[in-house]
Amino acid sequence: MNPVDEPSGLRRRHVLGLGALAGVAAGLSGCGRGFGGKSDDDGKTELTMAWWGDAQRAGFTQKALDGFQAANPGVRVRTEYQDSSPYKDKLAARVAAGDAPDLMAMRFDSLREYADRGTLLDLAQHTTDLDLTGLTPQAKALGQVGDKTFGVPSGLNTIGFIVDKTLTDKYGVPIPDGDTWSWEQLGTFAAAVTKASGSKVYGANFELWTTANLLVFARQHGEDFFSPQGKLDVREATVVAWLQLAEDLRARGAIPPAGFIDQNNGASPAQSYLAKKSIASQIIPTNNLLGFDQACGGNLQLLRIPGETQGARRGQSIDTPALWSIAAGSKHPQEALKLLDFLTNQAEPAKLCAATRGVPPNRAIAEQIAPTLEADNKRSSDFLSKLQTEKLPPSYPYPVGASKLTNILKSISTEVEFKRTTPADAGKQFIAQAQKALTA
Amino acid sequence: MTTVRARRQDNAGYLFLLPWFAGILFTVGPFLASLYLAFTDYDLLTAPRWAGLDNFRAMLHDDKLHQSLQVTIVYTVISVPLSLAVALGVAMLLDRGVRGLAIYRSIYYLPSLLGGSVAIVMLWRYIFGYQGIVNHFLAWFGIQGPGWNSDPRFALSTLILLHVWTFGAPMVIFLAGLRQIPAMYYEAAAMDGASPWRQFRSITVPLLSPIIFFNLIQSLIASFQTFTQGYVISNGTGGPAESTLFYNLYLYQKGFAEFDMGYASSMAWLLLIIIAGFTAINFLAARYWVFYDN
Amino acid sequence: MTTDTATTDTAPADPATRPVTASPGSRRPSPRRRFLRHVLLCAVGVVMMYPLLWMISSSLKPSNTVFTDESLWPSTWDLGNYARGWTSLAEPFSLYLVNSLVIVTLSILGNLLSCSLAAYAFARLRFRGRTVFFALMLGTMMLPGHVLVVPQYVLFDRLGWLNTYYPLLVPHFLATNGFYIFLMVQFMRSLPDELDDAARIDGCGPFRTFWKIIMPLCLPAFATTAIFTFIAVWNEFFGPLLYLTDPDLYTVPLALRQFMDSEGQSQWGEMFAMSFVSLAPVIGFFIAGQKYLVKGIATTGLR
Repeated sequence: MNPVDEPSGLRRRHVLGLGALAGVAAGLSGCGRGFGGKSDDDGKTELTMAWWGDAQRAGFTQKALDGFQAANPGVRVRTEYQDSSPYKDKLAARVAAGDAPDLMAMRFDSLREYADRGTLLDLAQHTTDLDLTGLTPQAKALGQVGDKTFGVPSGLNTIGFIVDKTLTDKYGVPIPDGDTWSWEQLGTFAAAVTKASGSKVYGANFELWTTANLLVFARQHGEDFFSPQGKLDVREATVVAWLQLAEDLRARGAIPPAGFIDQNNGASPAQSYLAKKSIASQIIPTNNLLGFDQACGGNLQLLRIPGETQGARRGQSIDTPALWSIAAGSKHPQEALKLLDFLTNQAEPAKLCAATRGVPPNRAIAEQIAPTLEADNKRSSDFLSKLQTEKLPPSYPYPVGASKLTNILKSISTEVEFKRTTPADAGKQFIAQAQKALTA
Repeated sequence: MTTVRARRQDNAGYLFLLPWFAGILFTVGPFLASLYLAFTDYDLLTAPRWAGLDNFRAMLHDDKLHQSLQVTIVYTVISVPLSLAVALGVAMLLDRGVRGLAIYRSIYYLPSLLGGSVAIVMLWRYIFGYQGIVNHFLAWFGIQGPGWNSDPRFALSTLILLHVWTFGAPMVIFLAGLRQIPAMYYEAAAMDGASPWRQFRSITVPLLSPIIFFNLIQSLIASFQTFTQGYVISNGTGGPAESTLFYNLYLYQKGFAEFDMGYASSMAWLLLIIIAGFTAINFLAARYWVFYDN
Repeated sequence: MTTDTATTDTAPADPATRPVTASPGSRRPSPRRRFLRHVLLCAVGVVMMYPLLWMISSSLKPSNTVFTDESLWPSTWDLGNYARGWTSLAEPFSLYLVNSLVIVTLSILGNLLSCSLAAYAFARLRFRGRTVFFALMLGTMMLPGHVLVVPQYVLFDRLGWLNTYYPLLVPHFLATNGFYIFLMVQFMRSLPDELDDAARIDGCGPFRTFWKIIMPLCLPAFATTAIFTFIAVWNEFFGPLLYLTDPDLYTVPLALRQFMDSEGQSQWGEMFAMSFVSLAPVIGFFIAGQKYLVKGIATTGLR
């Protein structure tokens, strides 16, 4: 048999198959979607809006936007959302290529990366279209750089210490008073849980690499972690104390042994060690309380960060999970401002999004929707409202380069955790690296 | 006569390469752009500024860069030969007439299908976590094992294992290659009483050598550019303590998280030079062990 | 080699002295060795299967127990993940599957056509600049893609291709992926030269030689390319992420990622349910495609 004949018969069938596949593909794409065949030329102004989150939040957001579009028939809003880390990458690429969305969600720690490079609209110049008078000075400060405003908080939050009461009850350890407890008390409490459970449950998870946590600790020591001018303003001794605190907690058995906690476990409630019931308490952003409570069985207590009444001054502050910013190059700034005004100053979108983005920054709106919230959201909302009435240090945008600090802290704290370096040396290293990160 | 033939082949060659030439036009623009950016200070959001050799000079003193090079080279040197050996071994095992061959092949390919999915990350945590399966096993002997993923001493090893475990892609290529070896060679060798090892060395390796070579070069290039596995397992940090900070992961951090695309571009071109060097050495060495039938 | 006397009775233990048949694939080892081989293959198989089993099991658990209930057999069942996952995104999940299928099909077609042409030139034709072009082709595989993202985005923006499938498809038709070219080159180079000579004597030009002789003999390489392209394109996340904005153009990986918010709550159960659903076409294609891996020269015999 001629060796070439047989396979070429095969090939013919193969080619036929491919042809059929191509036909199917062409048929499927016949409508032209994805092949440039799209046109919505109906004279409407098209706004693009991008943010991060999940499908559930997308549902709420879309409903809110339907309301906006009904009130503004000349405007169509095209939204796009992703999970937070792909969102960050795509936003960077888009803005770099000069294709920024009109309205975009902005991370608190990257606001100045974008603002300082002139890519964001100064909202303070447009007070006629965007009314920010309903916001407290604290809330407004979150988006301010100097006398300019580059972002409006989409919601307010802070950090809080959650404790699984089911576990502490099981092991008979009383939960300290969350408004006044000290770092020392945290250690005693957590060590007691570990001991009572025979190390089946560790008392606390201590994420010392999270910048927001260290920020509170630094404020309690009377320092601003970042100065308003964007310099590093924490003393080496404070960082050393922070690292030493973790070492002491570990030595007392209050937190798990080295290597137990995987730093990169993921921040989602379902993946947390609390949900697995191997840890009894940890710090979370308050807007995630609902999620954590659902993942942990519904008996979480929300406490303030320890050390608030013993330190040189208060450490906690009012923060935001995300800001809304408008692109400096937006072709429709008027409409984008209008949309942002709608999201900030109307009750309906706030009610729809509930507390997934935190407590509405507009005080009047926050009070208006408070009765409609689910129990856990109500709890975190009350927690924050109470803090808002107290005199707290202001929180303002992190300087350029601040987003590098988390990785530096992670790396250095691991070195300490595995005793590859001492807290003293690590503190020195941190200051040197952080200063470099902020000036580079 | 020969010159006419040569010209005809010239034209034919260029004709066959037409789509590729068109493609090159697509790639060459971005390539040149990145080469230019390698000599600039470019923060993505404002226009690049010419910086000459600044980026390359900075690389000399960048400890993290040196760490990432070391991580990547250790990873490559260990995982490439290991995974190729496993892939070839399994391919040869499956190439024999095993009942249910198609099922085994599909199952062994599964991890490669899943790529960098959450399922794999979860599996790795489940096995190598502080309270994972490995440590449960060790506990029977009274040993408290470390957190294999979270301890900087071991984290890279678990990633090497992960790579070896996804041997499906080279395995499929080996299988395809083994299918092209004419059966009569083995028949003749068996008739002459050659042992399996002898057959492997004298028939399989030489006749498969172009494919082995392909897998080697391909794995080498891919390994130097390892990103996804490191990214999903360490959540993009390269931790614990930079022990899994692959070169490409660091480059990505620089470019997209730290807005230093100029530096990232110069890192990219350095990597290109390194990979090209390794590849060139292999192409030279290939003259001594890769056999084409011509 | 083996201490089992039974094997020496039924069949010679040493494969070298076994009765020889048409292909190495049909040499029969002893039952005992076959059994051991199956045990070995199965044991490895379980480890390889685990992530799939985990995914299936997770798709049947409520979202908040996915990570806490570590057993493969769910303690609480939630079969609703599939129905909810199918409908809870902006579009029904079938749309994302269709979108992905369209892109995958065209990509495979493009890769097979363009890469085989280029590979044939590199492997079997002599022309000036061949070595340089080949080196250039390999070189394109060596630059990390991250630094090309912004220039490419700008390029596609200029072409007006944003929010279309062109940035994802056109490169496949232009042989921009050196991996597949190189793969086919290696396969084509291992074919005997006499094939071309014989074809030439029969009066075939390079095109006919390529089409009639080389292509059919490279079926395993084509199958491999098709399988790899399917998997790579089906799983590709970053490209579609960058270039597609309208949710109704989204591909499966983009859609899957919409179930989660890594810093907040995620619909894990729904995500794993749909992950499993979207794995089915890949597995199906692999099983269909791998049939062609066995149909090379080995089965037809060469002269």
